[in-house]
Amino acid sequence: MIEALFEGLLLVLQWKPLVFMLAGIALGFWVGLLPGLGGATTLALMLPFVYAMQPVEAFAFLLGMHAVVATTGDITSVLFGVPGEATSAAVILDGHAMAKKGEAGRALGAALASSLVGAIVGAFALAVAIPMVRPLVLTFGSPELFMLAIVGIAFIASLSAPGPRGMMRGFLAGGFGLLCATVGQDPQAGIARYTFDTLYLWGGLDLVPVLVGVFAIPEIIDLAVRRGSIAGALPDGRISKGALEGVKDTFRHFWLTIRCSLIGTFIGIMPGMGGSVAQWMAYGHAAQSARNAEERKGFGAGDVRGVLGPGAANNSKEGGSLIPTIAFGVPGSTAMAILLGGFFLLGLVPGPDMLTKHLPVTFSMVWTIVIANIVTVLVCFLFLNQLARLTAVRGAVLIPAILVLVFIGSYTSNNHYGDILITLVFGAIGFLMVMGGWPRAPFVLGMVLGKIAENYLYISVARYEAAWLTRPVVLVLAAIAVAVILYPLLQRRKAVHA
Amino acid sequence: MHSRASLALGIGLMVVSGYGVIVAWAWPWKASLFPVAIGIPVFVLAAVEVLWVALGRTERGETKDFQFSQDLPDREVLKRSAVGAAWIAGFFAAIVLCGFPIAVPLFVFLYLKLQGKESWRLSAAFTAAVWLFFYGLFDQLLHLPFPQGWLVALL
Repeated sequence: MIEALFEGLLLVLQWKPLVFMLAGIALGFWVGLLPGLGGATTLALMLPFVYAMQPVEAFAFLLGMHAVVATTGDITSVLFGVPGEATSAAVILDGHAMAKKGEAGRALGAALASSLVGAIVGAFALAVAIPMVRPLVLTFGSPELFMLAIVGIAFIASLSAPGPRGMMRGFLAGGFGLLCATVGQDPQAGIARYTFDTLYLWGGLDLVPVLVGVFAIPEIIDLAVRRGSIAGALPDGRISKGALEGVKDTFRHFWLTIRCSLIGTFIGIMPGMGGSVAQWMAYGHAAQSARNAEERKGFGAGDVRGVLGPGAANNSKEGGSLIPTIAFGVPGSTAMAILLGGFFLLGLVPGPDMLTKHLPVTFSMVWTIVIANIVTVLVCFLFLNQLARLTAVRGAVLIPAILVLVFIGSYTSNNHYGDILITLVFGAIGFLMVMGGWPRAPFVLGMVLGKIAENYLYISVARYEAAWLTRPVVLVLAAIAVAVILYPLLQRRKAVHA
Repeated sequence: MHSRASLALGIGLMVVSGYGVIVAWAWPWKASLFPVAIGIPVFVLAAVEVLWVALGRTERGETKDFQFSQDLPDREVLKRSAVGAAWIAGFFAAIVLCGFPIAVPLFVFLYLKLQGKESWRLSAAFTAAVWLFFYGLFDQLLHLPFPQGWLVALL
């Protein structure tokens, strides 16, 4: 095994795979920065180019590109409050709040350093977990996966706004997200649900236009209202400083970063859960790590732990989602499903062969994730000061540029004007949510989990009827969901009585 | 202002979830299970929220989310928000009428000149830079299909 590990490293470091990996990194860097251009879409676009490549070269190119998308997606989220990727939306909550306080450099430093730690943890998990993961994946059937989705929503709804009122709004936002996910053709009966006889809505509400609307439009309007720069009237020198502080933050909260990386890896392993779920789960966990109600208030207002958690989980999930893809041919996410196509194009069959005959190729993937992230983080740090200074640019200059990116980003989801209309409608809803003090995170998680949860609920009911509710893992997960709801309420009560 | 926004959201959610449940009732159980299972609790919670606001309990809560700047009077915030929203809607209208290749430089230039009160030189240079980025990346490199605007198609 150790021999194969080093063989994998040597394979990646040969000049051709290395050049392909660098080309992939360069591409992924920009794809991550630009809102709307998704990593999965770019993977699909690049797939035809791997025909002529050797497996190691092809995976160095594809994985090199995919591994850095989440890292650079965080940069757009922190600087402009616009999610560069659907998987980097959670970083906005505290990352952009830090940028507004003149701590863009620190937020970027934290996001990049935690991304690197996350990527290494994910890759390490991929290296060691393959023989152990089979029983875990097999323990989780549809009922357990449905309950996992419920735990996720309970987690984020209870933590994103404290107190019974805030929690209720959190659940309302989550429920609204779940309802939005039901728009489109129902996968079981083929009924067109809430489509108003519009062909565009048959495919459901696309996540990117919704996310861009909910997060970017309120920020843009706020910038227009303030008539200043993102970082306000803070001196330029202060904005670009602090990148090193962000790196130190990663190590100051090292165990939180590791725990969030493990959450990302775990979610990545679970087929169908996807990276958008991992970031919110990690954010919820980071918020829960606050020692008291006073500390918890800082989340959403620029607590660096709110950047570290999702930053780490975003990248560690890649290693995690590669585990079932390589070991069982079960893709953990859309991107992995496309990558699976790459396996077949190259004549590789996922399964036992990848763990025996092609083990060096498997390990070359591990090394690609690690090296690609190290290269990206180093490159980002070189330009960090210049990037952070963008928050000092006048709003009047930034707004049109951001709006162009927002509109093109949402339009490219389906190349349809309907995408922009969806962005505007959900922009208005996002604006009302911010104004009314409703948390947006549970809405997004509900929207992300809706289709998955519905599918698993249907299979659970159809297969087990009511008996699925009595399965041991389901009961444990239900108890966790209840505890997640009650814990902040009890903690608040204790604080009031103290 | 926040209580009115919360009231609007609460009523909106009551309408959406109520409509969702009523419509779903007519579908086969496979299609209606999830919308009904989610729609009913959302309707009840939204009704509680509306009642809460109606009874005068207007506390904003401490959401872990970004909050609008609060150093301006409500009236001014509303006025500036409406102007911002009008620019966004105007950009969308320009895209539909003229298509992206014309709407992008038109919007960027007009926003910089009229709203931002920037100099002619900066407005023209920045517009050219944004257009070059748009044209080079999305049109020439990625070959994204940008349809003609309705007005352009008529000409």
